[in-house]
Amino acid sequence: MNKHLRNILIALACFILVVILNFLLPRMLPGDPVAYLSGFAEEDMTPAKYEYYREALHLDEGLFRQFLYYLKSLADGSLGYSFKKEMIVSDLIKERIGATLQIALPSLVISSGLGLVFGLYFGMKKDSKEDKVFGVTNMVVNAMPSFLIALVLLAALSFKLEIFPYSGLSKAGMFPGRSGFLLDRIHHLVLPVLTLTLGVLPSRYLMVRNNAAKEAGEKYVLYARQRGLSERKIRYLYVFKNIAQPFITMTGMSVSLCVGGSLVIENIFSINGMGKLLTEAVYTLDYPLMQGVLFVSTGVMVIAVIITDVLCILADPRQRREAAYDRK
Amino acid sequence: MTGNKKGFLIAGLLLLALSLSMALLPGIFTSYGQKEMFDAWLMPSKEHLLGTNSLGYDIFTELVYGAGDTLFVGLLSSVLTMIIGSAVGVLAAQRGAAGAFFSGLINIFMLLPRLIALIVLAAFVGQSRASLVLLIALFGWAGTARTVRAQVQRIKAQPYIEACTVAGYSRMHTALRHIVPGFSDVLLSRFLLGVNSCIMMESTLSFLGFGDLYHPTWGTMVNFAYKRGAFMRGAWNYILPPGISVMILSLAFYFISVYIEHRREVL
Repeated sequence: MNKHLRNILIALACFILVVILNFLLPRMLPGDPVAYLSGFAEEDMTPAKYEYYREALHLDEGLFRQFLYYLKSLADGSLGYSFKKEMIVSDLIKERIGATLQIALPSLVISSGLGLVFGLYFGMKKDSKEDKVFGVTNMVVNAMPSFLIALVLLAALSFKLEIFPYSGLSKAGMFPGRSGFLLDRIHHLVLPVLTLTLGVLPSRYLMVRNNAAKEAGEKYVLYARQRGLSERKIRYLYVFKNIAQPFITMTGMSVSLCVGGSLVIENIFSINGMGKLLTEAVYTLDYPLMQGVLFVSTGVMVIAVIITDVLCILADPRQRREAAYDRK
Repeated sequence: MTGNKKGFLIAGLLLLALSLSMALLPGIFTSYGQKEMFDAWLMPSKEHLLGTNSLGYDIFTELVYGAGDTLFVGLLSSVLTMIIGSAVGVLAAQRGAAGAFFSGLINIFMLLPRLIALIVLAAFVGQSRASLVLLIALFGWAGTARTVRAQVQRIKAQPYIEACTVAGYSRMHTALRHIVPGFSDVLLSRFLLGVNSCIMMESTLSFLGFGDLYHPTWGTMVNFAYKRGAFMRGAWNYILPPGISVMILSLAFYFISVYIEHRREVL
């Protein structure tokens, strides 16, 4: 079976697993499912209220019927109801996901780009002195938890030097449409994006570097060098083509890493994104909301994997042409 | 390959020994008790190496006592990760439906958004040290399993495994006595990297406030510092050292694994 098709199937299986996990968790764990699903403790509810929730959550019906109701809530895009916030879960997430993506996507692009540039450069010079020095630096950054990176950057750049703001995404009184909004937004995004980029860069770099190091000894590189091509041309026109596949796959995988990392960072920079929503949900024991966030982030991950696998097929001329022959 | 990377081993072992002795004999590093009170928010001085926190506890003492809990959670969850990972890895290397099933399982767990799933599950099962260790292990084994699967497949192709089959050994015997020892060195380096990622995971979760408050780790310390306003006061002597300690501990394991990985390559 084609490797990429298999990857897509695995991503879908992962998605289904999360759906089933979401469904079973509140029902199987010790404790009253009504309490889990409404988010209120049993003692705080009047019997009438209790009955109301039981009814509203379809808990009297069979497990299979309940599962169908759950699937229906996913299919119509509501993802359930948060009784704590008295809002539909998907509306809550829709409000917040923008902020998360504004941090996650730039970091994804920048870290992949830098990983590629540095990885190719040092991979081609494997075991040289500069490669080793950079390798150790990389190791040290890799050992830093992302909250430490954030705190160090905050200490240096926003408290000591006061260059960047330390919280939020906009200045007070800023709203979309006002002049200077975009600049102000970028100014606020620099530190969170930098933190996340530094957090995911080491693993990206290492992966590109190791793949490039494998290619460095190949004969086509030697031949290209003999023809007098510049090192840069060799790196980007020859070696890059041969490591493009793992690079694309890796970029897709790092989407979920970036979204996950954004959750931590939002809490430090007080940004109202999905991560803040999740921690709020955890502190108020709003279980439907937590499940919604898990569902959406798994969904984002699955979409990323599918896109990258399609890209991998398109990027590889062998597979692209094979598909064209099949169609004839 | 140049150099034997002994430097990495020595640096790693030294850092590890420091953390271990902090964990086992906190008394030799600090003369203060864990709950001894002084004035709050003292700056670093000779008496208080890192100053005191919002409640007046000596921060350095807190740091020393946090080492044990951090190491405990990290090591225990990594041991569990290794056990689950090698079991699933060996199973996934089987031919047929069982192998395909376990391989699929590995791939699914590789993809799962780990941090978010861990946060949600931690909220469901409640905050305790035991559940934290269990959850980290339950979501961390996939990488180990994948490495083990590759190793087992490599070993299985060797003639001596064929010889075992010819000699009529049971599959269980062959697996435990002849295949597992073959990848034990890989397992060791995976274990060290596993401790690394388990400690990182644990401190991130604890930082977000999902840790066990009765056994404060370094991550929990940063969480406390953050909540008590060390950040707004600019009390970097409170909020940064625990994070830096996590980094140093994780580097220790990383350095040792670099040496072991290198030795394996040379062999």
